[in-house]
Amino acid sequence: MKRPRAAIAFVIACSLFVTSGASSASPARNAAVDRPAATGISRGPCRPVCPGFPVSVKSGDGTVRIASRPERILSLSPSATQMLYELGAGSQVVGVDEYSTWPANAPRTKFSGDETNAEDYLYLKPDLVIFAYPSGTIIQQLQKLKIPVLLLPAATTIANVDSQLAELGTATGHPNGARSLESSFAADIASAVRTADGDGRGATYYVELDPTNYYTATSKTFIGAEFSLFGMRDIADAAGHGSQYPQISPEYILKENPDYVFLADTVCCGANAGNFARRPGFSVLKAVHLHHVIGVNDSVASQWGPHTMEAFVSLLARLLRQGAPT
Amino acid sequence: MTLAADKTFGADKTFAADKTIAADQEAPPALFDAPGAAAPTIYPTRLRLTHVLGGVAFLASAATLSVLVGPADLPAGAVIKYLLSKLPFVHLHSGLSTTGSIVVWQLRMPRMVLGGLVGAMLAVAGASYQGVFANPLADPYLLGIASGAGAGATIVIVEGPALGNLPQSALPPAAFIGGVIAVAATFALGRARAAERSAASMLLAGVAVSAFFVAVQTFLMQRSSPGDLTLVYGWILGGLSTAGWGQVGLVLPYVAVAAAVLFACRRLLDVLTIGDEEATSVGVRASHVRLVVILAATLGTAAAVSVSGLIGFVGIIVPHTIRLIAGPSYRRIIPLSLLFGAGFLILADILARTVLSPGEVPLGVVTAFLGAPFFLVVLRQAKRLG
Repeated sequence: MKRPRAAIAFVIACSLFVTSGASSASPARNAAVDRPAATGISRGPCRPVCPGFPVSVKSGDGTVRIASRPERILSLSPSATQMLYELGAGSQVVGVDEYSTWPANAPRTKFSGDETNAEDYLYLKPDLVIFAYPSGTIIQQLQKLKIPVLLLPAATTIANVDSQLAELGTATGHPNGARSLESSFAADIASAVRTADGDGRGATYYVELDPTNYYTATSKTFIGAEFSLFGMRDIADAAGHGSQYPQISPEYILKENPDYVFLADTVCCGANAGNFARRPGFSVLKAVHLHHVIGVNDSVASQWGPHTMEAFVSLLARLLRQGAPT
Repeated sequence: MTLAADKTFGADKTFAADKTIAADQEAPPALFDAPGAAAPTIYPTRLRLTHVLGGVAFLASAATLSVLVGPADLPAGAVIKYLLSKLPFVHLHSGLSTTGSIVVWQLRMPRMVLGGLVGAMLAVAGASYQGVFANPLADPYLLGIASGAGAGATIVIVEGPALGNLPQSALPPAAFIGGVIAVAATFALGRARAAERSAASMLLAGVAVSAFFVAVQTFLMQRSSPGDLTLVYGWILGGLSTAGWGQVGLVLPYVAVAAAVLFACRRLLDVLTIGDEEATSVGVRASHVRLVVILAATLGTAAAVSVSGLIGFVGIIVPHTIRLIAGPSYRRIIPLSLLFGAGFLILADILARTVLSPGEVPLGVVTAFLGAPFFLVVLRQAKRLG
């Protein structure tokens, strides 16, 4: 009976690891987070002119011109929040959405990012608003108010994350910080992949996003890109039919019998290895027998910030290296 | 309460069409007879064997196909042998692997049975609602079940963590309770508005209650996270992905009792088609019949949607298709709705899991895609023949 108990402890440890925000980032990187020295650009309003401004950056809906360095940034994307703080623009942030849980000292607001009335944001006097999923005509409303808006939709590859870092660096006056972050991000990811030492190559996996309708993520998403780093194969790829987040059937999961199952619905829906194994037919799955059903924080499938991605890639590397938890 | 219509009315008198109109002289079926029409049209009412056999064949074909088809690509012969081996005194070696037998017995079979139960319930409830409200657009969700169940499900999904970490297993009971509360509220409001529970006052109350619960649901969704929204929309669009024998056991008693009550009321529904006053004059208390039928249909529908989510169109499409084919008598529509409703939803579910195989399409999307054009074809065909 030691084995299941140990397995449960391992799953809990993994969940805590990802949930607690433990990062595999190098100590030097963490120390550099949001420190001016890391970017080489001074803090505070730059008057009468900011060096390097105005700038034009690529946004999800076109090109945005930013006249001067933003000093009151409102980030309504948890991933962008992570990027802002890691590249050194944290002190320019005056508000983040309620889902931006990292870093813990970010000025959280009650905004969800779904607001449809630009007036809601005005009390913060933002001079740059960042969205991932804007609602209604909020962008047009902010543009009428002469407030620049940066749209950074969900990344689909690691390269997408890098380019979003670069755009944010340019937009906030921290191009060097962005470059430095890109380098350390790439180094940390490469280091994690080396840790796995080829283990996991060809292994199959299933990422569960909800336990009711069996929505999942294909390898054409940022979380899929993380598995691809290790040469793993997503069982949902055949079911995509153009969708990055398709709905599959439990019969297909049984048929494919994945080596690993990652439950990214532990927070929303209380999924865990135990109740997963108790679903009709799932007790015979290879992943269940090998104790390869891993509960992770839901954010790993919805946030592509460097902090979340590094933590998850590091977890993956360790899992693959260790094989079945004991 | 006067429910024994056979003693006072019905088949033996005004609606004794079996005796007065020969089967080969059937009048062309009409979509709907409004109550209080100048003179009630007389139609044959006896259930024809060919219709029953057609329904049984349709259901059996759909059920068989349902257990044979799936992304696991199991050999049809082996699946049939495996199912036959489940019968008493039959000893067959199917050749299915352990996983294959689990796919058939724990995934496909309960999914097929649950689809049949939900489809039968939605179809018969839709037919019954159309009868008691004399409204061709009535469906099982008319009195607020959908919005009430939707609000219940959304509360569990969105507010679950704040309510002591409610598990996902709390979703079906919450949807059931929400649906029943909504219909109870409709009843209370409908009665408050008029001394008698007339069809019109009940319908208006249903509109108000639905609007209220939709507002509650929308408010909660507006405050929810994108992940929660996916769950809520997944539930709203309906599906049988998580079907298991446990859910079949949960729903079966409600559907069985509700279907039995509605089946027993089929003659009384015929009586209501001539109008409340006329029904009363022949000894049938329309308000009592309406209460019993609505209660049965509500409990059955609430149980069905609690496990399947909101699957639209079945409650309209199936009864009307049967009405066009077999005539407007509820003595035909009710039993045939059970058979064809079950078969229709099983077929729709086969499409839901094969169109984008191995991906799935929400079942509610398939019923709407399939139902709307199919219904138009039937309508056009009936018009041409008529």
